[in-house]
Amino acid sequence: MIFAKQTEEIRACCEKILAEQRVDVILAYQDGGPDGAMIPFFARSAQDVEKIVWGDRCWQHLASYLHGRRDRVGIVAKPCDVRAIVQYILEQQVARDQVYIIGVDCAGMVDQYGDSRPGCGDCSVHTPPLWDTHIADEAIVEIQVPPTRACEDLAYNLEKFQREIDKCILCYSCRQACYGCYCKTCFVQRDLTDWQPAEIDTGTKMTFHLGRAMHLAGRCIECGSCEAACASGVNIRYIIKEVTNFIADTYDYRTGMDLTTTPAMVSYGANDRDIGFLGGEDH
Amino acid sequence: MSNATVHQVVINKDRIRAMLSQAMETHCVTAPASNGKVIDYLPVTDIEAIVMDDRLPYKSPKEFFFPRCEKILSFAQDGAKQTAPEQPVLLFGVKPCDLAAIAVLERVFTMGKFQDPIFMAHRGHTLIIGTACEQKKTACFCDDLAVDMQYSDACDLFLGNSGEDYEVLYVSERGKEQLGIYLPELANFENADHLPKTPPESLSLSEKETVLFEKVNWEALTETCQGCGLCTYICPTCHCFDFKDVEENGTACRYRNWDSCMFPQFTLHASGHNPRDTKAERYRQRVLHKYAYVPKNFGVIACTGCGRCIRSCPTGVSIRQVVEAVRGELK
Repeated sequence: MIFAKQTEEIRACCEKILAEQRVDVILAYQDGGPDGAMIPFFARSAQDVEKIVWGDRCWQHLASYLHGRRDRVGIVAKPCDVRAIVQYILEQQVARDQVYIIGVDCAGMVDQYGDSRPGCGDCSVHTPPLWDTHIADEAIVEIQVPPTRACEDLAYNLEKFQREIDKCILCYSCRQACYGCYCKTCFVQRDLTDWQPAEIDTGTKMTFHLGRAMHLAGRCIECGSCEAACASGVNIRYIIKEVTNFIADTYDYRTGMDLTTTPAMVSYGANDRDIGFLGGEDH
Repeated sequence: MSNATVHQVVINKDRIRAMLSQAMETHCVTAPASNGKVIDYLPVTDIEAIVMDDRLPYKSPKEFFFPRCEKILSFAQDGAKQTAPEQPVLLFGVKPCDLAAIAVLERVFTMGKFQDPIFMAHRGHTLIIGTACEQKKTACFCDDLAVDMQYSDACDLFLGNSGEDYEVLYVSERGKEQLGIYLPELANFENADHLPKTPPESLSLSEKETVLFEKVNWEALTETCQGCGLCTYICPTCHCFDFKDVEENGTACRYRNWDSCMFPQFTLHASGHNPRDTKAERYRQRVLHKYAYVPKNFGVIACTGCGRCIRSCPTGVSIRQVVEAVRGELK
């Protein structure tokens, strides 16, 4: 089985980098979650390494643990984790030499019923774009950049969006679970300007979700953590997907794919399309 | 009809459906139903939408007594007005763990030093029909907290499952009075004596707070917690809240919203100091609030083993394992 082989390779690599003292801790997975899920695990010794596993139930996002850490970290990273790490490095939240990436090929994670986890079903990046050690899965045929769906009609979008957020109870779990939402004080929790009124209604929820989507423009790595953490089964990825599609259409940019491309929202080119500034048509 | 008391009343599920259907005329009938993705306690208008199987709704029923967001007060120059709930609620299909949780909330909101009139009004407006739980779900641990899956008297009517029928196991005076309109056979039903479940709860923390603070390595126990706060929102007993005063058309309004101890802002002082600045301190608070502080102040553990937080945790943190680990560390 490929997972057993990958697990062996991951353990061998972890043992090596710990023995060589290249890292202080390794973020990985171990058994023990509900319904046979694997759960995050912090390995610090050779004994710990024995507990590390890999499989198709490793759906938790490990990259977000990197934020704020000061030690040297090894990380068993799925392609979406690696995209988050690339983004952290570009945003100067993590130093490249602080993290040792054990990039693992991933065909997508499943839940206890064998269904795709949020984000995995329409994922198109199955091989990590950056790694220090690569744990390959030959069976994975890398799908090239898929044709992005054009943005939906605005009126249709608004209606669908409102229907989705009807379920939202504004618990902010999606924000907390997101790798990219690391502001110390979220805009909705600022007292000056008070963005959020006290009453939780559609408008309040739209302010939060649209504001968050804007802050994630060109930063979402489509890992699905927001939806996995949602208390009400809201299709949160949907609205961000629209923004991601817009960025892909407008700037030909995909988040977290390499360390040399300047992120779309922090670069300016004379030939940038006006639609990105004004929301209007190109001249 | 004779007036002799009976100990067994069996009611066909179709009659319960018919009762709920009738009750919709006067009550906001709330029951497990699908929101398109998960099963939740939802207000229903279509009787067919009610899920009558053994599934436990994703979120807890606490929001019907303690809403996510509620305007509790408005005040203008002519004085203050307290807002009160209007339509009575009939809450159907509540499992014993959630009934036990409602009883915990009742203690916290009504039996301590302060009585919460808003909570009491909601509770007074709500008739609760509980149903037995047939099978433990993944990560359920009600046994450890001495919650009986098959019986509860923390409701107005409790129904046990028997195939196509429900068997009445408990009915309160209020249940007889208000539900007897639809189910006349309840009038003669006499509750059987029910002994408390044995063994008593095995998952508890009785050590002093200083010991729990200092002798336990909370950092290690909570290392994988992401701090998303999902557990506090879906928990049937978490009840921390925040007030916000706003002005609406010349009137000042006070809202009460749920808050979460898992967020750093929860304890952030105006000075910028935060007494619970780290994830470990915040998670410790969540565990100790349930297993040490509420037991001390209200005499009951504020966890009923429903397992929601464990099943839903994005990173597989288990409060049961954490409490067991704490007990292990302090042995």
